[in-house]
Amino acid sequence: MRHAGIDIGSRTVKLAVVENGSVIELKKTINSHNPLVTCQEILADVRFDTLTATGYGRHLLKNYLNCNVVSEIKAFAVGAKKISCECRTVLDIGGQDTKAISLDESGRLNRFEMNDKCAAGTGRFLEIMAAALGYRFEDFASEALSAGKAESINNTCTVFAESEVISLVTQGIPRNEISLGIHKSIAQRAVNLLKRVSVEREILFAGGVALNRCMIELIEKELGCRITIPEDPQMVGAIGCAFLNE
Amino acid sequence: MTIKTEPIFNDSFTGEPPAKRAVGYIQGKREKGKHVAGIYCGYAPVELLYAMDIVPAVLCAFANATIEEAESVLPANLCPLIKSSYGFISKDTCPFYSFSEAVIGETTCDGKKKMFELISEKKPMHVMDLPQLPDEAEALNNWTVMITKLQSFLEKTFDVKATTEDIRKAITENNKKNDLVTKILEFGALPSPVIGWTEMHDVIFLATPARGNDIYTTLEGIIAKLEDRVKQGYVHGAKGSPRILVTGCPTAGDAAKVFKIIEETGGVIVAIDSCVGLKPFAEKVEEGTADPIRSIAERYLKIPCACMTPNNGRIAELDKLIDKYKPDAVIDIVLQACHGYNIESYKTGEHVMKKRNLPFLKVVTDYSQGDTGQIKTRIEALLESI
Repeated sequence: MRHAGIDIGSRTVKLAVVENGSVIELKKTINSHNPLVTCQEILADVRFDTLTATGYGRHLLKNYLNCNVVSEIKAFAVGAKKISCECRTVLDIGGQDTKAISLDESGRLNRFEMNDKCAAGTGRFLEIMAAALGYRFEDFASEALSAGKAESINNTCTVFAESEVISLVTQGIPRNEISLGIHKSIAQRAVNLLKRVSVEREILFAGGVALNRCMIELIEKELGCRITIPEDPQMVGAIGCAFLNE
Repeated sequence: MTIKTEPIFNDSFTGEPPAKRAVGYIQGKREKGKHVAGIYCGYAPVELLYAMDIVPAVLCAFANATIEEAESVLPANLCPLIKSSYGFISKDTCPFYSFSEAVIGETTCDGKKKMFELISEKKPMHVMDLPQLPDEAEALNNWTVMITKLQSFLEKTFDVKATTEDIRKAITENNKKNDLVTKILEFGALPSPVIGWTEMHDVIFLATPARGNDIYTTLEGIIAKLEDRVKQGYVHGAKGSPRILVTGCPTAGDAAKVFKIIEETGGVIVAIDSCVGLKPFAEKVEEGTADPIRSIAERYLKIPCACMTPNNGRIAELDKLIDKYKPDAVIDIVLQACHGYNIESYKTGEHVMKKRNLPFLKVVTDYSQGDTGQIKTRIEALLESI
């Protein structure tokens, strides 16, 4: 049996297929204003027997395909455990959500925390800040890492932080220092969220923001330990979904 | 097989929002020339109002629609309950406010206090200074004085009198009403609950303003219907649905989106531990005492609102409810910018998770529908963890 998992996030759609306990296919694409069409495209040439959906678009897809749905928290808990069997804590920073999940020894969900409805400290926040500073998004992390010191950013609200960044730019502060400050403020927020649930090792960092090298370094520094980054951190939820039916 | 049941209220308000029935009740009273006083909170000592034949009207506070208007005066980062309340008043769209000849408020939080100052420019407004260290010896004396002062305010404003005997009678009458309401809400405690949150709200919204003598028959009729449901084997929601106890800020109207999500996700709300829930009906005023005002003060000071410190009563009450209603999880609803409930949520959560070994979820929200997706994800995850 081929089991597919689809994670319909705010920015990207991810798909994983498993068969006989192994991942045999992984795909991802940028989400659009019409997530259903994006899902249809990503599913078009994929063969599967069961389909489980997670992410913000899960109920939309369920209404269309009558697939199974599961919350992102469960999907990430299962996916993280499959990727690393020693995993006890998951940090996921996606497009519009930040989640901290604690698992018990057997991989069962212990506790979880999510950011409130505001997108402060998420991937979207980073995108907007990069744009405000005139960086290409893919250069943002390396520019931040090039800074000798960080300019402190006090606002975590995306809108206020943008005003703060603009005011720092007009004061002549080097933009890489501002970038490092932005990364630091998000890392601090993420670690605070983790501390509310657990910081038990092994800690797995998932979601699009886990592709950001600066963020990884800062979170490790703040926690005082190494964190595990999956081969493709964006796929954890989709993999979790796919394994749910195995 | 689904069992058809008669709604607990079978009247012209069936299917309408629960406040409509209360509007009907108070309108009837007004037509008979009765006085009406607006109240906001579970700390308003309604027994005293009944003793003077004044009808308490719970003022509107749960609609998102009035917030925009309120924000032209009030700051945006204020609790939605206060913003909504004030919006209703400045737009004059709350029927309960229109019926009210005066408004009674308590100093439960800074936002309310300041809103009361604004209301006082529009209608006679009486503010009671609520002691917030309930365990201190002075608290009971001070609160007794405040209730006595309320009595003087009502006597002057409405030109009415209440004798000690009138107050004693009102206490007995209200105790009986509270017992009946509690009994109805306890049908949620059954292994297969036969009442859901919308019907709980129907009862609560009517029983808060209505005096005992007016609704005993109705309440007893509801109890009989619920007993019938038990006999028929009716279950509210699907059999074996995860049982949810909700606690925290008062939740109704647009904030009840959280309740709707709980049900959509497959949970069933068995108990509502809030001021639009079990709280106002839980404790009884001691009957037949020499100083009934003091007895009223004693009962109201026991309401475990997060404005109190220490608020040990909250955990004690929650423990009792967990024992009785046997929830599978507890959801703490905090209205945005309600610092008391927000901070207290940490203690509440630690107690629920560590001492009672139950999954716990805190939801901070307002009256907008913008966060329903996020709330749904969290509640689904909570139910998956049961």
